[in-house]
Order: sequence, then structure tokens, then C-alpha cells
Amino acid sequence: MPRVAEPIDEYLPTTPGELCRWMAENADGEQRPVYPVGGRTALRFGYPAAAPGITLSTAQLARVVDYPARDMTITVEAGIRMDDLAAVLKRERQRLAVDVAQAHRATLGGAIATNTSGPRRYGLGTLRDYVIGVSAVDALGRPFKAGGRVVKNVAGYDLCKALVGSLGTLGVITQATLKLRPAPEASALVWAAFDRLSLIDAALARLAVSSTRPMALELLLPGAATAIAAEAGLDLPAHRPVLCIGVEGAPHEVQWQIDELTSELAEFHPHDLVAVNALESLRLWFALTEYQVVSDEPLTFQASVRPSQAVEFAACADQLGISVQAHAGNGIVLGHLSDRATTLAAAHSLLAPLYDFVRRAHGVMTILNCPPDWAHGLPLFGDLSPAWELMRRLKSQLDPKNLLNPERFFGRTPRDA
Amino acid sequence: MTTTDHDVSRSAAGVGAAFLTRLESIFGEHGLIRQPEELLVYECDGYVIEKNVPDVVVFPESTEQVVKVVNLCAEFQVPFVPRGAGTSLAGGCLPVGGGVMISLTRMKRILEVNLRDRYAVVEPGVVNLHLTQHLKGTGYHYAPDPSSQGACTIGGNFATNSGGPHTLKYGVTVNHVLGAEVVLPDGSVVQLGGAVEDTPGYDLTGLFVGSEGTFGVCTRVTVRLTRDPAACRTLLAVFNSVREATQSISQIIGAGIVPAALEMMDQGIIEAVEAAFHFGFPLDAAAVLLIEVDGLEVAVDDEARQIIAICQAGGAREVRQANSPRERQLLWKCRKQAFGAIGRLSPSYCTQDGVVPRTKLPEIQEFITAVGQRHAIRIVNVFHAGDGNIHPILLFDERDSDQVRRVLEASEEILLKCIELGGSVTGEHGIGVEKISLMHRLFDAHDLDVMRSVRQAFNPGGLCSPMKMLPTAGACGMEHVMQKRPGRRAAL
Repeated sequence: MPRVAEPIDEYLPTTPGELCRWMAENADGEQRPVYPVGGRTALRFGYPAAAPGITLSTAQLARVVDYPARDMTITVEAGIRMDDLAAVLKRERQRLAVDVAQAHRATLGGAIATNTSGPRRYGLGTLRDYVIGVSAVDALGRPFKAGGRVVKNVAGYDLCKALVGSLGTLGVITQATLKLRPAPEASALVWAAFDRLSLIDAALARLAVSSTRPMALELLLPGAATAIAAEAGLDLPAHRPVLCIGVEGAPHEVQWQIDELTSELAEFHPHDLVAVNALESLRLWFALTEYQVVSDEPLTFQASVRPSQAVEFAACADQLGISVQAHAGNGIVLGHLSDRATTLAAAHSLLAPLYDFVRRAHGVMTILNCPPDWAHGLPLFGDLSPAWELMRRLKSQLDPKNLLNPERFFGRTPRDA
Repeated sequence: MTTTDHDVSRSAAGVGAAFLTRLESIFGEHGLIRQPEELLVYECDGYVIEKNVPDVVVFPESTEQVVKVVNLCAEFQVPFVPRGAGTSLAGGCLPVGGGVMISLTRMKRILEVNLRDRYAVVEPGVVNLHLTQHLKGTGYHYAPDPSSQGACTIGGNFATNSGGPHTLKYGVTVNHVLGAEVVLPDGSVVQLGGAVEDTPGYDLTGLFVGSEGTFGVCTRVTVRLTRDPAACRTLLAVFNSVREATQSISQIIGAGIVPAALEMMDQGIIEAVEAAFHFGFPLDAAAVLLIEVDGLEVAVDDEARQIIAICQAGGAREVRQANSPRERQLLWKCRKQAFGAIGRLSPSYCTQDGVVPRTKLPEIQEFITAVGQRHAIRIVNVFHAGDGNIHPILLFDERDSDQVRRVLEASEEILLKCIELGGSVTGEHGIGVEKISLMHRLFDAHDLDVMRSVRQAFNPGGLCSPMKMLPTAGACGMEHVMQKRPGRRAAL
């Protein structure tokens, strides 16, 4: 077992037990900050670390612990890659119904810690709806668990919820039990380009009472539409704003919904309307999921507004030259700033109208990625509500020595103890 | 209302005259009750084995009033417990140690309904069914549908993370709560989550749901609204043996079908329900499955056909389909009011709430039958089979202390077996006071320590719903209470 005293910067535990001993030793001894990582796809999320510490990789905790397929649950270690997990589930024609980008790298633990989601969250929800049991190790090296392996369970506090989206600040997730869904037999997407955003807004209002039951309602401004069509390798009309609607089910159910959507959208006069089927639809789902990934843009944000405000917000961002994809049915708008925003001051002035918008709309804007030296000049998590004080209390209860990702949520704060 | 000497002495432990005077200045005479005969109604919830009267019950009509009573309790160090309709089945709103009960039934306004954005904001005292009735005709509904939905409140559902038959497909309460306004035990009002998704920071909303009133008082809930299904098919499959029925359940789930609901009723329940509602259930059947599939009109018939084939292959002697909305409604009425019909079978009953992996249903049902025989206790079953959430109902006469003892022993054996099979001791009713003694069977010392730390963040003084959910040094479960207060067991 590696000793804390050894000059290591990365630690790869091979069992949860070993991890516990190591964490306890660190907490009792050197108290170096610990930074858990999975696939390292979201390390820019949150405030950067103030002090060097130890990167704790869950890469070697990647076993399938128990997969009773007929119960439609699976228990796996947190370091499993999302692609590997999907492959295991596919053999039983099942899936975890959450879209995770960079699935060849991203781990389940990382997806849970960052509360990753994608287009299908409109119809299928997010990780909080699927994580039914969790095991973790706290900063003092104590293993703890919550929930269980059955789909319905209200014994004890639901710490699964606390850990989903906790950015590795409350505990190192070592294992999770997931509720599964049958994989759909077929899926398709309707890609409709419109002359004006106002037509998309009206179409979205209509779809709220559609006779179909879409799984995804994506809004793409031309920059995003072009990039997504290219990523999917599809020749799709992308010079106008696009509404992209995903459906799943039995093949005849999917076809019926495509026909129905085509006729429901007709009254809003789409300029072009293409149904993307079969293998092409898989490529398009993939591209829609991947677009939110941070690449070399200086700054990526996620705004949460009410679904009815999503189009207006997207228009506002578009006018500022920001590339926009929205999970419109959920009011989630993802924006990538162009590389013209080269300084913090430039980013500030660019984002100011959007911050004003979310304030007026009682929404919130979160920065998913920016250069580390900008982080303390931007409200990464928006205006902090009184609930943050409660969150600080929760953090200090579970991590009294403030060792786990000490700054990530709350920025630079004096370390206790 | 005046304070008599008798009341003062009775309340001497925690609630004194000065406290009551202050409380009366907040609530007036119509917002508060404290006469012993009036308080009796509040001595227990649906878990009747343990009872205790609060010193006083208050009926706030606003968040401000909740803040005032919570602040007053903090000042005088008086425990308080929030309460909805009192339909919970594990003693979650039992006022352990007396103190103030905060009844939220007068905060019952539906504050906002926004269909385009799929949410509603309600006060905690809104009755579950009233929200769904309010939404009728809009194409949307509130999905969690506990069997007590005609009485239970959204605030109570929030506190206990309630389930219901249709949670199989649609999820439990927490999957439908977007946010809440809560009053913490220090009197602060905090908005958790809200109408927009993914509010940053920890998911305190999700953590608060199911905390059984031990974190604070919920005064406003933002719930997700769900589209009504376009179509549904409701089936009744009749079996000559329980084993065939439970195996068919595993087959349906294993085939990758997610019905909207999948419920089982055994012969004992069928008999009571038939006597009450005259649906036409076959009285000689060992078990029936009530199965509903919903979705698009183009899809539901296929799913129904698949299910019929699985049930027939599994030994069903007959599979009927509800032919009209009226027939469907009657079937669901029979299921949801089955508990009410049990009065025909026995003077008292105790409903258990275990969960097993769905493939273990045949095993647990056989175990339950054996336990009933061994303890000479009649057990009937009506439960959420698709989730593996069993509800064995133990029939007894509470005037017979030996029967009570046997019921408690049999209950514990069943729940321990659920744990052994990889399940849980409660799927939807909660821990309350009833199952505190089983928590250490599910969780080890570290788990419980962490849960205590979490409670500490919300409720550091412990005044809010003391002695619930987590085993605490110096307190025990129901065995202790049974010995200490045998006279507190009462009729149903």
C-alpha cells in the first residue's frame, strides 16, 4: 500500500478497503487535499484547487459486482467506464437511460459526481432517478453506504441524492447500484429547421400537448446544428435554427410518432424536415450528446431556465455569438463562448446580459469550464441562495477537515483544523 | 382558551404556561388545540401500536406562522413534529416526548400550475388526489398515487417519499419533486431547488424528501407534472397458486416490459374486497394480478398481448381485460381500498412493507405463508408486485396480548428475511418509530454515523421530530415502548 509520506501525486486504490485505510491515514496524518478523479473529463468544473494534493483515481475499481438482469438492477464499482457498462447491459438488452458524453473515458463515478445528462433527460430523467444505492468513503476513511439493491426503498436518508452532483466533495464514490431500463427496439429523430426562432417556440408549446411522447426536445442554433450534423456525418439542413425531436420504442411506435410529429409541426411551417432513422439516428444521438463536451472553447456554461424561456434565452446568447444547444424541454441551455473571448473582462461583458436574464427569470447559470485564472472572477455557480449555507454545513459535517476537493464548490475558504 | 392548573402540571415536562401564552398569541383560539379529548386524535398515525399525545397541536396557515412556532420551540427547547394527514404507517409523526405538533392541513392552497413548464407549486396540506383532480382535463397529472391518496397530503408524501401502484413505471415521490421551501429548526426559511432544473450545489431537495420530518418543516413544494398516458389497458390475471402468480411477475419484468402498474392480491384479500365492492373476483382463486400497461395507442395492445401470453404460459387460468373506463376505475378502487375492506376479516391488522428483488417474490411469499402458520397468525397479501414491494397484512385482535406479541415476532421475521434476500425493511412507509430497531440490520455503524452527521447539518439541536429514523443511544425500538406502555395499544 502506498504511504502518504511517499511523494506520490496519484494514488490508484485496487480495493475499497485499501482506499479506506489510505484515506484514514491521510486524515490522521498529513491531511493533504484529495482530488478524486474518474475519466478526467470534467476536472474544470468548479473552483480550481488552491493547494497541491493527491489525485485519487478510481480506474482500478471497475468490477461488475452483481448483475441480476431479471431484477433490472446492476451493482458496479465506480471506476467502470460508461462504454464498458453499456456493453455489459447491452448483452441483456438493457441500458442505463442517461446520456453521458465521452463514454469511452467517462466513468460511472464521475458521471454521478458531476450529475451528467444529455438529450434524453426530457423523457427519461437524470442520474438521481437511477442511482438506487451507493457506497462511498468519507474524508476520514470511513466507508458508508445508503439505499440498497432494490428499486424501491425508503430506509434511512437518501445519501445517493447527496452524492449525485457533489463533485467529489462529500465522499469518494466506490460503488453504485443502478435501476435499469429495457433498451428500446428502435429510435429516430425528427430534424426540423425553421426560419425563425419564434416558430420553434410556438412548436414547443404545441409539443407540450403532443399526441406523441418524445424522449428529447433539442433546440440547436445554426452554429451548433452545423457542428452536430458534421459530427454525426449527416447532410442535414443546419443554416437555420433547428428543433430536433427524439422518439423511441417498438419500430411501428417510432414510425407512428415520426408521422404524427411531422403533421403536428406542419402548422409551424418548418423550412426543412428530415426524419433520421436506424443507424443514422444512433450517430445523431451520439453527436447531440457529445456537443456539450468542452473542447478548446475558452468558456462553457449551462443555464437553467424554465422550458418556456429556453428559446428566448438561446436567442439572447446567439446574438452574443455564443454557440447554443438547449435541452429545450428541460430549460437547460448549454453555451460555448467563441475564442474571441480572450480575457476575463471580455467574458464578463459578454455574459452580463445572460446573468441579467437568469436573474429576471429566477433561473441560474453555472460555468462548466473556464481557464483556472478566471474562476475567481466569475460566479461559477451563479448567485448563491441561502441554501448554500446549508450546503456548507453538510460539507463540514461529512468532511470536517475539509480534505476532499476543498475548494471546488465553495472557492477559497480557510481550511478548518 | 385558558390554562388550567391540570394542564400546567401535565405539561410540566416541556410546555409551560409562558410558552402556551406565547403560542396562543401566534395562533389564536382557532389555530390551536390542547384539550386532552381533542388531542387524542393526534396520538398516532396509521401505525397504531405506539401512541403518545402531543402537548398541543397548532394549525399554521402560512410559512410565517410556521417560522414563529419553530422559533418559539427553539427558544423554549420544546420538541416539535410536523404532521400531514396522519396516514403514514410507521409512526413517522408520533410526537415522541410530547411537545408541539405542527399540523399542516390548513396550508392547502394550490399556488401555481404551469403546464408548459410541467410543474405545480402547492402548500404541504394539499391532498394528493385534489391536485390530480385539479389537473383533470389538462392532459397532465401528478404521478405518485399512494393508496391513501384521497386523504394523504403532498407534504406528507414529500416527508416519506411515498410510492403507490403507478410508481413502477413513473417513479416515487422524489422523482417528481423539483424543489421545496422549508423551515429549518433554527427558524430560517430556505428554498431548495425550484421550478428550474439542475440548481447548482448539493441536491438538498432529494435529500430532504424521505427524511420523515427530521430535517425541518416543508411549507411549499414544487412538483413535476406528468403527461397523461394516451392509452392504457388494464388486465386481471387469475391464478390457482401464489407461486404461479409471483413467477409470472418475474417473467413479465424479466421480459423487459415495464407495466405502469403490477399489483398482486391473494385469496384472503380477494374475499374481503369482493364482499365490499362486488367486482366479480373469483373467490376460489389463490391470487390475482392487476396489471396495467400504458403508452401510445399503437403500442399498448402489443404489450398487453405479451403480458397475457406470459401469464397464460405461467399457469393463469384466465386473463380478463377491463372493457370500459368504469370497469378499470372499479378495479383500481378495489385495489386501493383493499385496506379498508380488511375490517371484514379482523378487528386489527398490521401492514408490513418489505422489499425484495423481484425475482425473489416466490421465495418471500412462501416464507410469509410459513411464518403465518408457525405463529398461528392469519396473513393476507396485497402489494406492489412489480417493484418487489410486499405488504403482508397480519390480522389480529389487539385485545389479546399474546396475539400482539406473535404479530410483532412474525413481522420481524418477515422483514429480516427481506434483508437476507437482498432487500429492505421499507419500500414506501418509512422507518418512523416502528422500524428503528431494524436500521442496524440494514446499515452498519459508519452508515448510521454518516446519516446522523447529515441530520446534524439540518437539525443540530434535535428538536425536530426527535427519536425517529435513526437509532439513538438510550432509545430503542418498539419492544421497549411495548414494555413501557402496554396500555397504549388501541383498537383500529
